[in-house]
Formats: sequence, structure tokens, C-alpha cells
Amino acid sequence: MAENNQPAAVYAALKEQAEQNRNRLFEKPLILIGAATCGRAAGALKLTQAVKDELSRLQLEANVVEVGCMGHCYAEPVMVIYNEGFPPLAYGNVNDEVGVRIIRDYLVDGDPGFEFALVALEPNDFFPTFSDFPRGVHENKIVLSQCGFIDPQNIDHYLALGGYSALVKALGAEPDAIIAAVKDAGLRGRGGAGFPTGVKWEICRRAQGSPKYLICNADEGDPGAFMDRTILESTPHALLEGMIIAGLAVGAEKGYIYIRAEYPLAVERISLAIRQAEEKGLLGANILGAGFNFAIEVFQGSGAFVCGEETALIASIEGRAGIPANKPPFPADAGLWGKPTIINNVKTFAYVPHIINNGADWFRSIGTGTNPGTAIFALAGKIESTGLVEVPMSTTLNELIFEAGGGIAGGKQFKAVQIGGPSGGCLPESALATPIDFDSLVGAGAMMGSGGMVVLDEDDCMVEIARYFLDFTRKESCGKCTFCRLGTKQMLDILERITKGRGEPEDIDLLMELAAKVKEGSLCNLGKTAPNPVLSTIKHFRGEYEAHIKEKRCPSLMCKDLIAYYILPDKCERSCDACVGSCPAEAIFSNEDRIKVIDQEKCVKCDSCKVACPPQYAAITKLSPPSEVAAREQREGAK
Amino acid sequence: MTDRITLVIDGKTVSAVAGEMLLWVALDNDIYIPHLCGSRDDQEKPASCRLCFVEVDGRPLPVTACTLPVSEGLVVRTGGERVDALVATGFELLMSNHRLDCKNCPANGDCALQQIAKTRKLKLKPKKLPVLERDLTVDDSVPGILFDPNKCVLCGHCIKACLRDGNGILGFTRRGFERVISTFGDLPLAESECSGCGSCAAVCPVGAWSAHLHAEAF
Amino acid sequence: MELTAEEIRIAANTTGDVLAGFSDSRGNLIPALQQVQNKLGYVPRVAMQKAAAHFRIPAVEVYGVITFYNQFRLTPPGKNQVKICMGTACHMRGANIIQEAWERRLQIKVGETTADREFSLERVACVGCCTMAPVVVINEEVNGKITPTRVDGLLFAHELDKKNAAEAKGGAE
Repeated sequence: MAENNQPAAVYAALKEQAEQNRNRLFEKPLILIGAATCGRAAGALKLTQAVKDELSRLQLEANVVEVGCMGHCYAEPVMVIYNEGFPPLAYGNVNDEVGVRIIRDYLVDGDPGFEFALVALEPNDFFPTFSDFPRGVHENKIVLSQCGFIDPQNIDHYLALGGYSALVKALGAEPDAIIAAVKDAGLRGRGGAGFPTGVKWEICRRAQGSPKYLICNADEGDPGAFMDRTILESTPHALLEGMIIAGLAVGAEKGYIYIRAEYPLAVERISLAIRQAEEKGLLGANILGAGFNFAIEVFQGSGAFVCGEETALIASIEGRAGIPANKPPFPADAGLWGKPTIINNVKTFAYVPHIINNGADWFRSIGTGTNPGTAIFALAGKIESTGLVEVPMSTTLNELIFEAGGGIAGGKQFKAVQIGGPSGGCLPESALATPIDFDSLVGAGAMMGSGGMVVLDEDDCMVEIARYFLDFTRKESCGKCTFCRLGTKQMLDILERITKGRGEPEDIDLLMELAAKVKEGSLCNLGKTAPNPVLSTIKHFRGEYEAHIKEKRCPSLMCKDLIAYYILPDKCERSCDACVGSCPAEAIFSNEDRIKVIDQEKCVKCDSCKVACPPQYAAITKLSPPSEVAAREQREGAK
Repeated sequence: MTDRITLVIDGKTVSAVAGEMLLWVALDNDIYIPHLCGSRDDQEKPASCRLCFVEVDGRPLPVTACTLPVSEGLVVRTGGERVDALVATGFELLMSNHRLDCKNCPANGDCALQQIAKTRKLKLKPKKLPVLERDLTVDDSVPGILFDPNKCVLCGHCIKACLRDGNGILGFTRRGFERVISTFGDLPLAESECSGCGSCAAVCPVGAWSAHLHAEAF
Repeated sequence: MELTAEEIRIAANTTGDVLAGFSDSRGNLIPALQQVQNKLGYVPRVAMQKAAAHFRIPAVEVYGVITFYNQFRLTPPGKNQVKICMGTACHMRGANIIQEAWERRLQIKVGETTADREFSLERVACVGCCTMAPVVVINEEVNGKITPTRVDGLLFAHELDKKNAAEAKGGAE
């Protein structure tokens, strides 16, 4: 390739302009509000409006910017203020009232409101920073480093902080050198399978056939996973930059981002990012004057989990039902429209600019030899600090859940952690020392999946969670092949009868036999992994299955058909009518002693009364099996 | 390329064209492998019925014969503990979703399911699994054709035949357990531009489609 | 649900307009159908037939695509679409109880639309707001930490908004 200094020069001018634009923001107090989907669900848009109204009422000059998600979802809505006199501060759980108050106190009276602050963003003498908390100690943010701090709707923010510099570097390198860098870094695909990214790229580069295509798989379908959504909503240009570099490496000029239909905000933000990158000459024809063309198109999914499977995703872009095809041929040889195609996950692409900029050795210095880099997890469920974390590979589950994640919410007992969604498994307490990496998790009976992690506590029934996932895969199975279509249905039927108290002693063996055959016989990975939640729960929590089957009892008091609600007579306050008012079925009445009693015939088990009963009484409890109610009533004398 | 190679199936040495799929090579040499969905001229192999599993030397897992191109020196066994168990379960799953009424079925005696059961010594009636009765509407709206979707095993032969010989009115619709072969909008055949050619009935391996004579025809 | 002649006419015209913006390349089929649904709220039979003719494929293939994907609707949705998130986190925090609360209050089942076409109720795959579980999406707005009593609150707020809007409209006239 001829020496071409043009990209560097064009880029330098773009960057300078961007820096100027971004620096201007800091001339006034700067207020960032986390307005990704999670923030919005917690009221971020209302907060933004309230803050803007207050600023104009007080006639204060300040810049308000909607940003993405910082990952501290438990504290949404999150607000950050950059103002003179104090380090930049992030505030958590900022409802509009608190937000308005902070604005007033800080910008008028100079009181930064430490009582509402979560963390300071720079080292200082006043307030702790991220590194003063266990989460900050464990985290090593690469892909997420800018999430929540830059304006995802303004390309200048990304550019000003050095964004697209890796692209400039890549434009000056030979494609084989880019592939070599990714290979040397040992980057493994973050979609779940962990296939070496560089190897995949090399196969595609060498493959006959033209044109070649690139597809970003943003069909994040695992329930409980939201890493890709956050990246799309918070730092869309990182993905675009990674894709352009990949296009350069494999020799593709066209890329698709396949986003699931349930992510409207992500579609909006990535589409805007594409337009802005095109306007700056970073995307489209003759990128940065280097003579390389690359276009990116957003393709919206229509709601089918199976489209996470490469061949099904391709069928979907080709205008067909998302039904997987037999492999080989593999997409790297014959994919979209029969042409060589690279499919990588959002996170995989987002690592690429960092690897190009910092080198393979840097990437390898994080994590372990076979699993370099970081892992990004979405922590959800019964954990204190829900949200997104990015930790080096080899961090243990224990560290992630109990240190970075702050342990179990509400002082409850840890029971299991579900990793990898419908393809993954539930790991018990004894597996908490497992290091997080592709191979160790598979060894422990789960899988990395795309990074969803749902923590379960003592109130969660493991048979029910297995039933939930099977119900999911049963509904999402494309129905093409026998084992998946009928095997998941038969397994689900068995699990349903167990949770309804109609299980038979031989059901556990039958489940295990079907599970083994569905894994072995299914055509695609959806079917091959669908039995995992069942197998892992039977392996680690067989006792719970047996309680359901033999005693018709749900030890976690979760399976509706196996529980009944009961009001403890000695705890009922009598004159309080909270439960009566809350009951949608008029199933609660007062007996002659004015103690409340539940008419079991009428009760719909909606849980409303238990929520309504004031915590100082806590008079409502669940019993299993339901026959316990009669026994207790007899013993405790309530009628 | 018509390189001929030799391979061994169940101890029998056979000669075949390199790259041909094992399933057809075996059938051509009078070695039966259960199968429902594949055709020799498939552009894209369905590989969906999952009954043609075989064991291959050097491969740890069973392989579907319909997707395995033959090559020199290949050693294959169509049976064996692992493959037999897998095929038995696959067959039982299919049978748990097939309305069993052989006595009154037009395909009785010429049915792929009966053939599989006979050669593999499997029961037609599922022994461990409950029957998943769907109770779908039987379509007899076009004279000479009867479609009972409750018997359908979703092999897709009728769809291909209808595209080839008829008006292309059949397709896979819905998904998962609800996946069926139907017309546009689930309309009866008589309202679906069905040409009445009967190719569907001719290719159906299990009697879901059959040539059906209305009483009036006599 | 039977469509009126007027509804069919609108659907045919809208579909025609949408298809005019697409070439007949098969890859445009799903984006075109999505646009039809964005405009109409559903993809009726006439729209599928027009799409099949435009892309020169059998109508049953379009029907196969529409019935395969979760997002496509064959019948008109309610004015307000209530979608209950069925992600893991929501499920473990009682999404079923929330679903039942909506079903009780709206007197319809999931997948149905109220007789006045005011509300339709659906289950939706994980919307990725797991930390706000359980989550209900009403139209495009994500509502977190829902309880059965908040279902009543949301419906009440909706009634109130409707009343206010009607009054504002009445006042303006």
C-alpha cells in the first residue's frame, strides 16, 4: 500500500474540532443524566425535564446532556455534575425532587449535596472514588469505560477522547497485520461460544467469493442480559469503529447491525451514530481519504431468539423465517447471499479499537492465557448492586457477586446463580470459587453465554426456574428439527406437571434421558443447549425436584399450585384492614375475633395481601403444601 | 468431478461418487437408514427429521447421513448403542406427535414410519412419552386430496412438490411446536388456488396427505 | 376479528405506499413488512398478498414469515399496548402475578385486545431493564418495579389522562 498520510491529517482536524466542541461544554456547569433504557425506566426523562425547568426558573446557565448507562443500574436515575470547586460527582437514585434540590443547593449555594452522592469521578480529598469501593477495585473497564460519560448522540465526544484513532492506525496497516493483532491478542468471540475472533476473520479473508459481508449480532435475546443494549445506547461509535476495522481486515465493504426489535432506543442511537460518522467521512465511501469504502446498515429483528444463531440470523436478513441451516458450510465460507460472512457480537467488535490502539500484549496482560481480556456481565436478580460490570477474566463468581455486586439483596440467603440464559445453567454455592472464563464455566456446568447473570436467593424455586427456561426455549424453538421441537415440548410438559404437584417419581430420569438426547440430536445450538438449565438444576438441586414430586411441596414457596397464603392469628393486628382492601378476589374476611382469615377457595394467590400487610405485623405467610393451612388453623385456633 | 471412492458401511465395502451424501449411497446399496425429510436433489438440505444418524470412525458424535459427504476410506456403522438410542428417542418423539390410526390410514403398509419401526424394531406407539394431541382441522375441501395435519411429520416434501407441480400454495408457517404446513392464511385448499394435481399426496411418506375419493365421485 | 371494508382499503393503500419505496429484492421483505406494521399496527391479509406480489414470491411464504416472528400482528392492536416483560429477572420477581393483575383488570387474556380496542395485552421478551424488574412497557414507555396495586394506579392515570385530554379538547372547541 502506498504511503498515505491523508487519513491521519483528516483525522487530526476532526479531532481538534471535536475537542473544541466538547471543551465548550465544560465552560458552564455540566450535568449528565443517564438516559439509557434502564435510566428511562427509572424516570430519567422526567428528571431531565425537571432539571431543565429548574435551571430556567433560576436563570442558571448550565449544559444538560443525556448520556448512556454507567452500569450502576441499582442507583438509577444517575446524574453527574461537573462544577468548579469540587470534583465531578455522580449522584444515585435521583428522582426529580432530589435532582432539583441538588441543582439548587450546588449551583446556587455551592453545597454539592454529598448526602446524595454515589461517587466522585476524580481523585480528591472530599469524597470516595470508584476505586474506594469493592466494585471499583474488581472492575477494569475497557469497553464500558466511556459508557455514561460521553454523549452517545454526539460523535464529537467519542472523537475528542481519541475515538476512531484505531481506525486511522488500521487504515495504515495491511489487513493481515490487523488480523494478526487480533489473533495475537487472543480475543475470543463474546457472543457466547468463545471462538477465536482472529481465526474467524482469517478464514473469511482467505475465503473465495465476493463481495464479503460483516454482520454485528446485536440480537441480544438471552433474558437477563443487557450488555449489548447498553453499549449500543451508550457508546455506539465504539461498535462502528470496531466494525469498520473488521471490514478492512476481512475485505468487506458492507456491514449489517442486526438489532432485536425490543431495543428501540438502541436502534435510534446507532442509526444516528451511523449518520454522524458518515457526515464526518469516517464511514461510507473513501473513508478518511484512504480509498476504503465501508457502509453499515441497521437491520431490525422481528422477535425471534433463534436469530442469535448465525445461520438463522442470515436467513432473517435474506427475508426468510429465521430457521437455522445445517453447518457446514460455515458463514465465513458461505453466509449471507452465499458469500463469505463474518458474524461477531457487539462486545467483540467493541474490543477491537482498544486492541489496535494498545496492542495484543496489553490485552493479554488482562485475564488469563487462554481467556485474555475482560468479561462483561449484566448482574440482575436478587443482588444488591444490579447493573453492568466489566471485570478481568478469571475473577471468581464469589468476587463478582459478593464483592463487586454487593451480595444478596435484603439479607436473604444465596441459592444459585444462573449464567448464560436459556443455554446456560444454575450454579450453587459450592461453585462460587469458579473463575469466570469460557472454559471454567462450561466445566462447572454453565456457560458464559453472552453475559447475563441472574442471582437467585432462598425464595427462588429451582424447578420453577428450569420450567421458566424450558418454556422460553419451547416458545423460541423454530420447530424445524424433531428433537428441539418435540423434545423441549415434552420436557416442558414434565416440568409443568412437577411444579403443579402432579409429578411422578420416574420423571427425573425421563427428564435426564430426554435432555441428553435433545442435546445430542438437535440441529442447532438452541436445541443443543436448551436442556442445560434442566440438567444443572437436577444436578445441584435434586432435593427440590424430589420435594415437589414426593411431598407435593415447594420448598421455596414459589410454585403457585403448591402453596397457600395464611394469616398468622397471633400476628394479625385485627383493626388493620390493609389486606382486605388489597385483595382483588374478596377472599379475606374477619372472623368473630376480628382476626383476618383467607378463604382458600377464593384466593387467587396474587401476593397483594402479603405486600399490603404492614411490615411491623408481617402476619401473612405462605405455606406448602396447601394442606398445611388446615393443620395450622386447627393448631392455632383460627376459623 | 466424478472421482469414485470406496467406503465401508456396516462392514460392506461399497463404491460411490466422492461428495455424494452418505444417506443416498447407503440406500443405493440396499443399506437402509431411517429418514423422512431429505431428497436427492435438495439445494439446501433440511436435516430436520434427525433420524438418519450414523456412527463414523474418528468422529466422537453421531452424524446425520444426509449431510455427510462420502470420502475415500470412510468407515460407517448405521447402528450401534449410541445411534440406536438416539434414533429411538427421535422416533418416539415424532410418534408422540403423530395421530396413530394405521388401520384406517391410506398409507397403511406403505408408510415410512411403519418401515422405520419395522427395521429398527421400534414401537409405533410411544411407550414413555405422552401423546401430544393437537386436534388440527382435517382438510378435504378439494376432491381427490385429503390432508390430516395431525399426522404430518413436517418433512416438507409436499411443499417442494407443490412448488414443482402445483401452484406453490403450501409452506411452513408458525414456529416451534405450533409449526405446521399450511396454506396462506390457513385457508382450506379449495380457497387457496390448489390445482388439485395431487403431487402432495404422491410424495407424502406418512399418509398425512392422501389421494382421497369423495363419495360423490363414484 | 373481522376488519371493516374501510380498514381493508386503508391497509391496501398504506401497503402500496410502503412497497413503492422498496425494490423487489427479497432482503427488503422484512423491512417492508415492519414498515407496514409501524404504520398500521398490524399486517392484515391484504398487505401480505400485496407484498407477495411485489416480491414475486408465493403468498404463503409471506404468511410463513409473518407467523414466525413474535413482533408481527395479524389483527389490530389496542390503542394502548401493554407489554409484560418475561425476562428472567422479571419472572423471578413475579411477572406472572403482574400479568394476572392486568388480565383481571382489563378482563382479557394475554394476546387479546379489549372490546373497545383501548388496550391490548402482550408478553414481550426481555426488554433489558432487568434491574427494574418487574417491568411493563406501555406503548413505548418502560415502567419499572411494578406491583399489582401499581397496575390499578397506571390504569387510573390513563383514565385521568384520557378525561383531561377530552376536556381540553372540549374546551378548545
